[in-house]
Amino acid sequence: MAVRFRIIGDNMSIEQVTTLEAISSGNSVIHNLEGRVKLISILLIIVFAVFSDRLIVPLVLETFLLVVMYLADLSFKESFKRILLLLPFGGFVIAFQPFIHPGTIIWQSSISWIHITDTGLNWTILLFSRLLVSLTAIVILSSTSPMQEVVQSFRKLGMPRDLAMILTIMVRFLFIFVDELRSIRQSQRSRNFDIHNKNISYKWRVKQVGYSIAMMFLKAYEKGENIYLSMASRCFSEDSRLYHAKTVLEKPEFVYIGIIIVLIISLELVVLFFSHNLGYFGLSLSL
Amino acid sequence: MHIPDGFIPLAQCAIYYVILIIALYFSGKWARKNLDEKRIPLLAVLAAGIFAIMSMNMPIPFGTSGHMVGGALVAIVFMAPEAAVLVFTAVLLIQALFFGDGGITALGANVLNMAIVGGFVGLYTFKGLQGVIGKYPSAFIAAWLATLIAAVVAAIEMFIAGTFPLDVGVASMALYHAFIGIIEGVLTVIVLYALEKFRPDLLAWNRE
Repeated sequence: MAVRFRIIGDNMSIEQVTTLEAISSGNSVIHNLEGRVKLISILLIIVFAVFSDRLIVPLVLETFLLVVMYLADLSFKESFKRILLLLPFGGFVIAFQPFIHPGTIIWQSSISWIHITDTGLNWTILLFSRLLVSLTAIVILSSTSPMQEVVQSFRKLGMPRDLAMILTIMVRFLFIFVDELRSIRQSQRSRNFDIHNKNISYKWRVKQVGYSIAMMFLKAYEKGENIYLSMASRCFSEDSRLYHAKTVLEKPEFVYIGIIIVLIISLELVVLFFSHNLGYFGLSLSL
Repeated sequence: MHIPDGFIPLAQCAIYYVILIIALYFSGKWARKNLDEKRIPLLAVLAAGIFAIMSMNMPIPFGTSGHMVGGALVAIVFMAPEAAVLVFTAVLLIQALFFGDGGITALGANVLNMAIVGGFVGLYTFKGLQGVIGKYPSAFIAAWLATLIAAVVAAIEMFIAGTFPLDVGVASMALYHAFIGIIEGVLTVIVLYALEKFRPDLLAWNRE
């Protein structure tokens, strides 16, 4: 069992699957970029945001991502709503940070052991800014690239065959299970079953969830076997490769990835040589 | 338990990625040997199903909601933790890339907690206990312990990363997951019971 700290609860991600697929099939400068370029650029941004401990880096990267969001014609309101829904888990861990790290005390409560230190506060700000950049990057990637495009990009970038094929087929069947789950929920609702209804005993609710999970697991396993049989009847074998369309990188792709690489190198040079001129934004905030 | 991006320094993320690559190598070998060419469609569709299962939130005490992980379940069904590694790498990668559930840089750490530790602890606890207390009680304890140990490992990773003190992190994660692990245990038993009843041939323990 894993905890999910969400502002709203029920099967968020399952509902998002279909919504995301619709948004990501849009038409904009960013949507039209080749999948590999979108994937690599987002990975570069996240890795650099995690690598750096200066506030200037996430600040500039987030500004850049907002420009990308604008170019992709994404709704700022909807995008930040998604980020807000994803924040609580990381936010929960971050919320403790100002209080648990040693350093100079900058705020003291009436209870002696509850205090905020400068080191803890700096670390909190750094963690939050990294998380914000990463989530913004993920929201942009998932809103501008259909799942299949991203998975195919992994294959083109050299992901091992087995894992790449598992991902490709998985993504294809994800939508079937989304529908399955939706039907289960619908039929439960039609019988007035509400998982959050506290008037029903908790034990009974857990049992119903257990039955649904058992059914999903069974269906997944059986469907997997059927898919194998239908693939085998079409000559699928150990050496089979799944088809993927060849795509060519053109000028917009080179320009986009070029801008990101130049941005990252420039930021690193600024941090290396001019951080003392940036005040708080140039300070190392790591512990 | 899904560690986000930014919480673990890059150098440590690289170590977890190396662990992930080694685990994937051995899991791939296991799949080729035990599932033959069936492995790809079977594990892929199962991963899609597990993704859907992980999206089924249910209320848990303390005002939060939780979802089943299933690392122990997959390992017990196949009687191999390698199956959990393959399925969960795919699931966690999609969750990280599209839903922000766990980070891209922290993917190695998340697979380590939920699939490698969860799968190994779950399966070997089950194997160790089933002869003593029977299949279902041992499956319950295995899933409970897998949840607990996975959470403790996550707390230790956060401590090594400098994000959380060891004592507070381990104590709070262990306490909380010791409780919600009970629900994971119950759900695991229900699924195994249903499989035994309707498709006993799918359970590797019936083939051993």
